[in-house]
Amino acid sequence: MAKEVKDLLRDPKILVGMILFPALIYPLMGAAMNISTGSVIETASANMTIYVIDDDGGPLAFTLKEFFRGGNFTVEAVEGDPASMAASLQGGDVLIHVPSGFSENITAYRRADIGIFVNFKEFSMVEFIKAGRAEGIVRIFEGAITNALISNAFPISQAEDILNPVKIDYNSVIRGEAQPINPETLQNTMRLQGAMGPIVILLVLILAMQVAATSIAVEKEAKTLETLLTIPVSRLSILFSKLIGSFTIAFLASVATVLSFSYYFTTVLGTATVDQGLDLSVLGIGPSSTGFIVLGATLFGALLSALALALTLGTLAQDVRGAQSLVGVLMVPVIMPMFFIMFGDMSSLPTALQTALYLIPFTYPMLASQALFTGNYGMVFVGLAYMAAFTFVTLYLAAKVFSSERIMTARLSFRLGRTK
Amino acid sequence: MSGMEYLVRLKELVKDYGGRKALDGITMQIEEGEIFGLIGPNGAGKTTTLRIISTIIKPTSGQALVCGIDVLKAPNEVRKLISYLPDEAGAYPNLSGEEYLKLMASFYFESGKEIGEALEEGRKISGLGERLKEKSSTYSRGMKRRLQLARTLMVKPKLAILDEPTSGLDVTHAYHLRNVIREYARTHSTTILLSSHNMLEVEHLCDRVSFINEGKLVESGSPQELKSRYGAQNLEEAFMKVVGVA
Repeated sequence: MAKEVKDLLRDPKILVGMILFPALIYPLMGAAMNISTGSVIETASANMTIYVIDDDGGPLAFTLKEFFRGGNFTVEAVEGDPASMAASLQGGDVLIHVPSGFSENITAYRRADIGIFVNFKEFSMVEFIKAGRAEGIVRIFEGAITNALISNAFPISQAEDILNPVKIDYNSVIRGEAQPINPETLQNTMRLQGAMGPIVILLVLILAMQVAATSIAVEKEAKTLETLLTIPVSRLSILFSKLIGSFTIAFLASVATVLSFSYYFTTVLGTATVDQGLDLSVLGIGPSSTGFIVLGATLFGALLSALALALTLGTLAQDVRGAQSLVGVLMVPVIMPMFFIMFGDMSSLPTALQTALYLIPFTYPMLASQALFTGNYGMVFVGLAYMAAFTFVTLYLAAKVFSSERIMTARLSFRLGRTK
Repeated sequence: MSGMEYLVRLKELVKDYGGRKALDGITMQIEEGEIFGLIGPNGAGKTTTLRIISTIIKPTSGQALVCGIDVLKAPNEVRKLISYLPDEAGAYPNLSGEEYLKLMASFYFESGKEIGEALEEGRKISGLGERLKEKSSTYSRGMKRRLQLARTLMVKPKLAILDEPTSGLDVTHAYHLRNVIREYARTHSTTILLSSHNMLEVEHLCDRVSFINEGKLVESGSPQELKSRYGAQNLEEAFMKVVGVA
């Protein structure tokens, strides 16, 4: 086993491709995004000149210009045709046209027009952010005017009550207890936290299968298999060393990827997820220790059977490329359950499709990962028994292939199963 | 001679690859301490015979015994007694020659002392000197073959099985390997079974030989016996007369 792990880790393709590259790619992506986003934000939040053609000259046009000044804008009065004037400005510069009658229309409770001209030259993020900043000030101005008009027209009421006459008090009943939580927020949180499980499971399975499937092909390519089969080590030991070696590499690769992805997730996307930060464990639907044990058991079973299948299939290949192509066949049943479980609901699927998914052993770690939050362990426990049987059969098949001469002579041809 | 005095006994060995008979009733014995050559053209059944004795493949029928142990019934026991050099053998490319020898020795011995001794023996046999510290992927074909012969012999097997040990090598490497084999068999009383289609090489190296053709053993004896039996100048000529070509 030590030979297996050592040799795999010394392979630059595995060390760089499966461990170092995933470990570095997300932090590098994050760093690149942080640098570019930081420079964009810095540029966009700096003092900005707004060009104003004031054909109104009224008090509300004056107030609007004050709002701009308060928002770190330098207001520069210009004259002429707004479109021609805007075209003569720099890329990202914004021109506001306040037409004649603007103040009069608003005070008479009529809708008033205002023109915003943005000069795009590079269509860069900075230009779009500058345009958004200018519109934002206009919207703040609009809100203030709205409140003032309502208060003026209905002195005894609050402007907010008139604007939003119906207030919804959201309640989500969780495990029989009403919680003041918006269902949409709950769904977003569960989806966000629950998505990581299936993705990691998928990653571990795919990586482990690739390493396992190619492990015999690597021996064939390096012409070491014949020697390996004659050393005083039982074939079962060779099989289990290959299983453990593949599992170790897949585990290291997964840890590297998950840590790297988590870093990227928290540093780059962290600000976007703060609002979704519901503590599910407080609501009684967070992952329990039993849930993790069940998830671990299903993942272990799925891994063992996936590795045994990949190893057995890998013996048919003559070289690494052939083994990689062969293991591609196994990717379909590994990926399918994840899609159906992550983006749908098993119970709403047609019966035939449900049955097909339940027959795939790789469905159960996905269901177990979902059950961490839902607590629906019914099918997961049934699946555990099924997986145990499936894993036993796949291991038995792998042991048969390893202890026979098929490991040397098996070839995949148009007549499957024939030996040379 | 009783059965137990032979190190290797093959009885009516048949190997059928789905309609194509690679071996068709091979019966032969190899005495302890001798260098035995299996000679024949490509596809005659030499490698199949060696692979059966090495426990890699199983015979369709018949029996193969090493030190009286049936290769089918107790392959793990047989593997403790043999060391096999395949026709095309490689080392793990990410290991240095020395690391490779050490790794292989660790499969045969448990104590560090024994592993160290085997490694030292391997160093001597290979004659690769400082190059052993370099990755085996940088070795020439001849150096790789020296490393493999060192790996095969350093564990002091009861039976060393060498499939075409000098095939494809230049004269310098081939000469070195033949000397090592001869010297090693003499000093360690190791029984050596080798296959070759280079009959002149076998003539100088082996105590006894068997001719194999189309899966059948057609003649056996010492090189001298075979040459005089068929009035041939060398083994090549004797073989051609046996198979009825000359």
